[in-house]
Amino acid sequence: MSILVKPESLRTSGRPRLTLANRQAMIGYLLVVPALFLLLGLVAYPFFFAISISFTDRLVGQPGAWVGLDNFRYLMNNPSFLKTIQNTIIMVVVSDILKLFIGLSLAMLLNQAVRGRGLMRAVIMLPWAMPGFVAFLVWKLLYMPIGGAFNQILTKTSIYPEIIDYLGQKSTALPAVIVATTWRGFPFWAISFLAALQGVPGELYEAAKVDGASSWQRFWDITLPSIRPVILIVTLMSSIWTANSFENIWIMTQGGPSDATMVFPVLAYFGMQTQRLGEAAAVSVAMIPALLILVFFVTWLIQEDD
Amino acid sequence: MSSSAFTVLRGKRTRRQVLGGVAGGAAAFSIGSMLPSTLLARKAPAVIQSGGPLTYWGGLIFSDAANQMLTDTINQWGSDNGVEVEVVMINQNETQQKVSAAVESGTMPSALDLGLGLAQLLSTTGELRDLGALYDKIGAAQGGWFESIDAAVSPDLLGGTRTGVPFGSGGNIIFRRLDVLEEAGITAAPTTWQEMSDFAIEAQQPGVYGLGLALSNVGDGNLQSSVLQSYGGRIADDEGKTCTIKSEETRAYLEWVTAAFEAGVFPPGATTWDGAGDNTAYLSGQAIFIANPGSVSIAAQTDDPELFEATGYSALPAGPVMTVAPIGPNIRSIPATTEDVDTASALIEFLSQPEFLGEYYKVAIYGPVLKAQETMEAFEIPVLSGQRELVLNGTAPAFPDVNNAAFADFGANFLVPKMVQRIVVDGRTIDEAMGEAQTQGDAIYAKYV
Repeated sequence: MSILVKPESLRTSGRPRLTLANRQAMIGYLLVVPALFLLLGLVAYPFFFAISISFTDRLVGQPGAWVGLDNFRYLMNNPSFLKTIQNTIIMVVVSDILKLFIGLSLAMLLNQAVRGRGLMRAVIMLPWAMPGFVAFLVWKLLYMPIGGAFNQILTKTSIYPEIIDYLGQKSTALPAVIVATTWRGFPFWAISFLAALQGVPGELYEAAKVDGASSWQRFWDITLPSIRPVILIVTLMSSIWTANSFENIWIMTQGGPSDATMVFPVLAYFGMQTQRLGEAAAVSVAMIPALLILVFFVTWLIQEDD
Repeated sequence: MSSSAFTVLRGKRTRRQVLGGVAGGAAAFSIGSMLPSTLLARKAPAVIQSGGPLTYWGGLIFSDAANQMLTDTINQWGSDNGVEVEVVMINQNETQQKVSAAVESGTMPSALDLGLGLAQLLSTTGELRDLGALYDKIGAAQGGWFESIDAAVSPDLLGGTRTGVPFGSGGNIIFRRLDVLEEAGITAAPTTWQEMSDFAIEAQQPGVYGLGLALSNVGDGNLQSSVLQSYGGRIADDEGKTCTIKSEETRAYLEWVTAAFEAGVFPPGATTWDGAGDNTAYLSGQAIFIANPGSVSIAAQTDDPELFEATGYSALPAGPVMTVAPIGPNIRSIPATTEDVDTASALIEFLSQPEFLGEYYKVAIYGPVLKAQETMEAFEIPVLSGQRELVLNGTAPAFPDVNNAAFADFGANFLVPKMVQRIVVDGRTIDEAMGEAQTQGDAIYAKYV
């Protein structure tokens, strides 16, 4: 945009007058100010406040004193902490892969002209629309060793005659939680992908067909590249949500058995039980670097696409 | 503001108006109240209110009748005395979080119900007011406090002052299925933990497990600390400053619990139970023995009368070294931020009257705290009789350990049930599990030196 500059001789004396562009820019900044304050108040302040108190021995109701890295050292020596990092990564990666697979499959199915498509689109939203508390309580009941639906089906049909303690065994607890978490989260992926698929021009597929491209080639060379930005954004958001999810673990296992399902939010919650805010904040802060790496990586991929 | 003045400044009411209001309220109360007429005959203490409404956070328990009675009584007291009250019932599992948030945001209620552990944390940081005078007044009027209760709320444990007025004692007692045990020829209550697991192995049947005790990361899981202590194990030394969990006594306890687990007496899922795990197991007929304060009895009485009739109650068994049966008084406190202390104190005093508590105890799950309460009709109910026995013969919280912040931190990290999980879930050796608990315990106790 070019800015007109008046010759020196034509300038009026006294207060300098703003150009139209500057006035518009100023109005723009003014309009942004409320949102900026909102962001500062609701996002930036709690974020930096949490970081600051993670370096103190702050208790509830007490300001606390600077203790440097003591809280982090304490955390690093906690055997539950290393298990927490491992569990969080496994849960995020595996559930994202499952949600990607299920979400994309369903989106492609619902993008076809099949009977009852409208109803199916509404039905698949149910797990996501259901309150998390209810959803995970239902899953807990399904997994119950005695009277739980899965065990009932397996034992009554003699497929597997012995009771499986899905949430009480180390080998099955995390997979069981991941399945429930995936079930709750896949509708968001499916609907997002469906919206993206509807934006892919049909002509591309017709041209590819004419050129003799197979179904797989059309999917790989047209569909995936077209919806790649949406996949990246959905992956980013879902990863953050999953890493921060509390109710799925708390309702089903409380982080047990023997830390088999311990994740950052639950560990932070245990820190809060003794009102030691500094320690609890340190757990939350310890998760930030991993999330930042993820955010920068996905942002970089999106910018590469652009 | 003087507490002797009888004029309610709010709305500039005269003494006559106040008295009229009290009389009118009492009349309305007599028509609709759940409380017995004896309570109506007792005049509520005169109160004066300043500022906004008096907010009371009551502790929600498993008895709807008890929760409703507390709410109605406080509201009625407010109505009778011209005090605007707001009662909020808080799930006791969430009190810690809500109180923490309220302290940080400066929105504590005028008065509230607390467990002893949280009261200790708040007292040591000066968040609660000294209620020593009120405590003494109520005690003197009702035969004195039980020694165990008095010791549990000692100023030594509460930051130097008496910051709470106990209103009910809680603690675990053993529930047992008389019908299932009789089928195996067992009629007596177990006197030791070993005997209890032996009975459990002998009596259990397919689908009915012997020991419905939580081994998970919830408050119920910390019962295992008491079992460990009854085997002679200690969380820390006599000074309460050095963790001493790794010991031969702890090994003996771990050998007992591991053997019981391997014998299959713990129901599947006990390592991940939530706070209602034992309730669910017992009420659905899956457990022979559980340890519970009484909520299961209330549920069984209404939902499963046959189970209720087939249930026997006894004290926590002994270990090879001693019996550890902790009592846990629940108290009413006034936060330091409360301005109208006189009004809040008047409410707490009113709620300590035997006319109210006598009826409340019948539907709640608490044992007595004052000696005059010992003969109340409520404590003829078997499960509540067990609570009374606990108050008379139980042990102080944390005993034989020192009940301090480090002990509370150790418990909040569920290190004893986790130590058991390391063995029965991860398959680690007893030495490895004890070693890890010792290392974590050292780190926790080091924070408080």
